[in-house]
Amino acid sequence: MSKLGWSKGVRRASVLLLIAVVMFPAAAHAYAGPGAGFAVLSSFWAIFVAFLYSFYALATWPVRQLFRFFRRRNAYGKAVFSRAVILGFDGMDPELAERFMNEGRLPNLARLRAKGTFNKLRTTFPAISPVAWSSFMTGVNPGKHNIYDFLACDRSHYLPFLSSAEIKGPTRQIKIGKYSIPFGKTEIKNMRKGTPFWHWLGKAGIFSSVIRVPVTFPPEKFQGVLLSGMCVPDLKGSQGTFCLCTTRAAGDKFREGGVRAPIERRNGAFHAYVPGPDNPLAETAGHEMRVNYEIKPDVAAQTARLTVGSEKFTLKVGEYSEWIPIEFKAGLGFNAHGICRFYLKEVSPEVEVYVTPVNIDPGHPDLPISHPVTYSVYLAKLYGAFATLGLAEDTWALNEHVLDDDAFLAQAYGNHEDREKMLFDALDKTRQGLCTCVFDTTDRIQHMFWRYLEEDHPAAREVPQSERREVIQDLYQRMDKLIGRVMEKIDDDTLLMVISDHGFKSFARCMNLNAWLHQNGYLTLKDGKTESGDWFEDVDWSKTRAYTMGLNGLYLNLKGREKQGTVDPSDADALKEEIKQKLNGLVDPASGAVGITGVFITGNVYRGPYAENAPDILVGYGAGYRASWDSVMGKVTEKIFEDNIKAWSGDHCIDPRLVPGVLFSSHKFTEEKPAIVDVAPTILKLFGLALPSHFDGKPWNLAPQAVGAKTPAVSPAT
Amino acid sequence: MAAGTPAHAAFLLASWLTSPLMIVVVLSVVIGLGMIVLFGYTSDQKAIGIAKDQLKAHLLAVRLYRDQLHVVMGSYGKVLGGTGRYLKLAFKPLLYVIIPITVMIVWLDRSLGLTAIQTNTPFLLTARVNTPQALDGVTIDLPPEITASAPPVHISADNEVVWRLVASQEGAYEVKIGAAGQSAAKTVRVSSQLAQLSPERWRDHFWQRMFSSGESALPENSAVESIAVDYPERNIPLGIAGYEMNWIWLFFILSMIAGFIFKELLGIEV
Repeated sequence: MSKLGWSKGVRRASVLLLIAVVMFPAAAHAYAGPGAGFAVLSSFWAIFVAFLYSFYALATWPVRQLFRFFRRRNAYGKAVFSRAVILGFDGMDPELAERFMNEGRLPNLARLRAKGTFNKLRTTFPAISPVAWSSFMTGVNPGKHNIYDFLACDRSHYLPFLSSAEIKGPTRQIKIGKYSIPFGKTEIKNMRKGTPFWHWLGKAGIFSSVIRVPVTFPPEKFQGVLLSGMCVPDLKGSQGTFCLCTTRAAGDKFREGGVRAPIERRNGAFHAYVPGPDNPLAETAGHEMRVNYEIKPDVAAQTARLTVGSEKFTLKVGEYSEWIPIEFKAGLGFNAHGICRFYLKEVSPEVEVYVTPVNIDPGHPDLPISHPVTYSVYLAKLYGAFATLGLAEDTWALNEHVLDDDAFLAQAYGNHEDREKMLFDALDKTRQGLCTCVFDTTDRIQHMFWRYLEEDHPAAREVPQSERREVIQDLYQRMDKLIGRVMEKIDDDTLLMVISDHGFKSFARCMNLNAWLHQNGYLTLKDGKTESGDWFEDVDWSKTRAYTMGLNGLYLNLKGREKQGTVDPSDADALKEEIKQKLNGLVDPASGAVGITGVFITGNVYRGPYAENAPDILVGYGAGYRASWDSVMGKVTEKIFEDNIKAWSGDHCIDPRLVPGVLFSSHKFTEEKPAIVDVAPTILKLFGLALPSHFDGKPWNLAPQAVGAKTPAVSPAT
Repeated sequence: MAAGTPAHAAFLLASWLTSPLMIVVVLSVVIGLGMIVLFGYTSDQKAIGIAKDQLKAHLLAVRLYRDQLHVVMGSYGKVLGGTGRYLKLAFKPLLYVIIPITVMIVWLDRSLGLTAIQTNTPFLLTARVNTPQALDGVTIDLPPEITASAPPVHISADNEVVWRLVASQEGAYEVKIGAAGQSAAKTVRVSSQLAQLSPERWRDHFWQRMFSSGESALPENSAVESIAVDYPERNIPLGIAGYEMNWIWLFFILSMIAGFIFKELLGIEV
């Protein structure tokens, strides 16, 4: 029977059956099994619960409106706009934006430039995303929000720790047989200080939707919804650990960001596993939980059938799976819930599968990643699972050649599309108040594809000019189209701001600052050593006066602060000045270019109660330079300068004066030198709120025509 | 059989296992499993999962944005729409399960829904004829094991005659009703055990015969339209504080519980 005929037959039979049941009812015939029973019951339940919620919302609405009316007198009463929409494009560069606008590639940004504002946005010292976005949201300098880098230095051990959040498991345990059951709550501490400006808005009764703004993990309570962004860990607690499952014999670790898992052949199928977090019930640490899965390759079709728990799916070579739920079983009914995507790299002659870092499942979050907790559940139910990891685009995998350009871009844009959906949902739901969303895609893609923008970038020398793609141009055009779609959704009573936390420059040469410190007598290795291991292995602390870890910070080995400090506090200022003088203007002997264009003593830069946690000196690299990969990890090498040949070929962790961000707005601001720290006071002022006295940022003024007639909304380019 | 002996224990166990309660429990579990599996195979599992997730999302939206009336009302509308979509998706598997389960329930209801006539317990037998004229000539032909305990009652308004009868022995008997020179028979079951019962025999009424009669139709030219035996309803003792329940309710509850457990175990979206 044809499909059409069959469906007609089904329809006819359905009608007959329905007639029979309706015309000749009997108690016993009303029930058609548990399947249909659940369907009917849950439908009624859904309608009933929705009715209850709606009834409650409607019944209490007048009271709440009245209450809000009096509160809004203070907020919306003096507000210039009823809504502010802030799009954060992490790392959007003003020079590139201007170049592409002038080439006619970015019509929507060009319209904003023509009718509203386009300016460079001064970034923070250092120009690193968690630092800059923390200043964006709190309106204060790093000395008051306590974020100076992704990593901070534990001076008692010369080791790094994550600067933004601290996760501590329960300290007490109960032993039952082979299990050691944690007793108490996991403590997640936000290390970022200061108050995000949406908290001030919330106190005045103004609702905010905040999506993926960096350093918002763990989420804090306020009047609105928030999905955490950069700094959310994966299920292992790391900032992203991918897994390459392979039949090739190799080591089990990559230099950064990933592990290898062997694929074994048994009974005609291949078997591998997804590595998970350590088992919290194990007596000793280091017992990794794993989820096994099976791969059945079809070499002729270049596909493989994967079975992961109850999920079965087929992938072509070069194809990603959807987000697959993963459950790590610790025992005694304790499970950890995550999601990951599988990417089939190869089925012949070897079998290789790349697995993304296991993200916290937004529909079943084991750690809070949103406020309220149900917000991430809501988004997951509405749009399906999505990446929750702070640094979700797997730059390490591309650096390590585990992913190729296309696979990386597919992953990055897949995440980006999910975030676009979230943004438009928030725009639809937040018709008054604040709606802000930060997109990481701009940052990650520029980091990884800057090499194609330059003719002679060391990381692209092997790639012929004809094979280089216009990845970054395409990126900016995509963002422009997104802005166009947002502009269609807003009216003149909405302020649209497009900002970035910093710009971008080439990263062609690496500088190992620890090597420089070593060669200039500030850092000493143990006898006979010419290089150290990671995290200062083989450093002789008793003879070391300065060291560096992280991207821009340099620390003195200070007595009373560092575990084996050697520098007397009374000599610290002189030593800082001495290092500054030597480093400033340091020339790369290979190219003759200046590798360091600015050295900043942080005591002169930061003000606030947490300034003492800052590094002693910030090093501002010149354009084309950055701290070497080894230097960031506290390693001393023999060479000071060397080529950067990794795909991570663009960067911004340099002299902040060289990498300002962008500011576009739909209404014109008169400020000539705006800074990212000014955004918070500007938004509060535009909503008519008083500014907290501790703010370091200064509010901008709207141009007279923008205040008076509220310049007609800029219409989007199609 | 002496009490306390293994044979007695085995007898008690067998009696318990064949009791109506156990039959309903076993049937509920088996049918719950079967229907869930059938639902899983015949439904679009992915679409049902998405539809359910969307419903949950709209419910959550009402809570998350409760201060924003346009969101609350919009989400409520989407919940109604989503419920419709969900029911539509559940309709196709419903078509597959409704026929076997309806047949099964009708068949089971004849055994579990009614109690057979008990010996020495009066019961009513009603015959309905097609015309008031035929009512006067209605006769009854009883087997020796069944006797009338009272004169028949004629209900002219309904064209019915009602007899009060008593059976003296267990068995399946034919009672013949004569009217307008023709005869029609109806089986009467007298038993203390579970038995397949047909409470009514009809002349036409196709759907009624389908759902509540286990006997063939009466001849079309018969003056007798129907013959009904008033079998008492069966309530199944639950063994808890003397509670009793109609089997269909018990089946409904138990099969839902079984279905819920199996759907979780088998990972089937319902």
